[in-house]
Amino acid sequence: MDDRYLWDRTGPPDPEVARLEETLGRLRHRGQLPQPPRRRSFPPRRLIAAAAVAAAAVIVAAALGALWIARCDRGFEWRIERLEGEPIVGSTPVSQAARLPVGGSIETNGVSRARLGIGRIAQITIAPNSRVRLVRSRPTEQRLALERGKISANISAPPRIFFVQTPSALAVDLGCSYTLEVDEAGTGLLRVETGWVAFERGGRESIVPAGAVCATRPQTGPGTPYYEDSTPAFRRALGAIDSGSREAGDLSTLLSEARRQDGLTLWHLLAGGRGTDRERVRARLAQLVPPPAGVTREGVLRGDRKMLERWRGELDGMPLLPSEGLLRSFWRRLRFRLAAAR
Amino acid sequence: MTVGPDEASEETGWVEAARRGDRQAFERLYSRYAAMVHGILLARVPRIDVEDLVQEVFLTVFRRVGALRRPEAFPGWLAAIARNRATDHCRRLPKTEPLSEDSAGEDPAETEAREILSQIRALPEAYRETLVLRLVEGMTGPEIAARTGLTPGSVRVNLCRGMARLKEMLGRRQSHG
Repeated sequence: MDDRYLWDRTGPPDPEVARLEETLGRLRHRGQLPQPPRRRSFPPRRLIAAAAVAAAAVIVAAALGALWIARCDRGFEWRIERLEGEPIVGSTPVSQAARLPVGGSIETNGVSRARLGIGRIAQITIAPNSRVRLVRSRPTEQRLALERGKISANISAPPRIFFVQTPSALAVDLGCSYTLEVDEAGTGLLRVETGWVAFERGGRESIVPAGAVCATRPQTGPGTPYYEDSTPAFRRALGAIDSGSREAGDLSTLLSEARRQDGLTLWHLLAGGRGTDRERVRARLAQLVPPPAGVTREGVLRGDRKMLERWRGELDGMPLLPSEGLLRSFWRRLRFRLAAAR
Repeated sequence: MTVGPDEASEETGWVEAARRGDRQAFERLYSRYAAMVHGILLARVPRIDVEDLVQEVFLTVFRRVGALRRPEAFPGWLAAIARNRATDHCRRLPKTEPLSEDSAGEDPAETEAREILSQIRALPEAYRETLVLRLVEGMTGPEIAARTGLTPGSVRVNLCRGMARLKEMLGRRQSHG
């Protein structure tokens, strides 16, 4: 018997097989592909297990870090070092080195100087005829009060941990070195050498970059920051505007004398100002420092903070200051603890 | 028609891709194996249920292919799923005398096909699956061997002996009719 046709359709066709093929062929499969459910691709079990172990380790580390940060306010010792003369802590002259407690003050006379610091992360030099009080010492906040005189601060801790309050404004360190002086009347002057300092009072904030100065007055708070190398006419006009003794032509002088880097001053006038002059300031600032895409005239004049902050980011030497979330806050505190521990 | 090593290699690639969730690879496997699954089921369960069961078998494959360790074992694995599904289905069927399907108004060729299929189903299991794959699904002996995982020799023997038995049964039916 020749079964080749039955086997693989070679050889002479078997009529009976061919007839069965034809008859039964009508029962052949003609179905449609099923639509399988969308599969989520799961990683292999070993990967899942490894990820779970890693996540657990991160959680434990974070918890330990949080405990470590929260554990103590102690450990942040402000140490006093005598530089010249006999500085006084409370009523006790400092001969060599001493500790400044929270609430305590250090005072220098006309011939004495001192240095105040926490390890390597904050060094404050206190000039003659100054008085500085330690208001608060916590992992997240180190606050001094400069009641009179002059200090030079050199801060290498993360931003927004060191604060120096004056009678008319609060200097917030954003990572920098600067000098701050306050006279008997409470008028202050901030001069930034490196980095940035925020000068704040009552919700009003001036960001002062390196090379710029900013005055503060008891009645009006922080003024408008400006670069010391701006033209005398520019500085005179700004002084008149800030003190409220502005005369006709002062704004025109200020706008015409402004250079690109004086965009710093114009931006602060625009962000904090009111009235019809804002349009003139905006137009001049747009000439000197074009606003980024999406920052509109209407939005800026309306006082849209996001638009103003985006424009501020275009100014020479200005930092990007993102809003601080929980994770960023935790990280900042952790870094501070690590820095203080060194 | 023969099944060569290239085809087997190509198929291994499809299985590996299907294991990663590649729907196109799954479609290719379906195109190649749907007839085999249909034939395995048709040899065992009522025809009316076969299409639904084919769908169920491939959905099972889609869900479980990730657990298949050796892609080259796919054909035998798939055939086993189809056979097990057919067994489960028959076990769940009510134990009643099947009603004869009403053939009034039906195409005579369709009626004849159904009757021949019922004769094939009366054959021993080894013969009926091979004959359905050959005569209904149109697969050749080498294709049946490659797709089901049986040896070519077994398939050839099953085809010859099954065909002889079928001819004998059909001859008896004709002489009685």
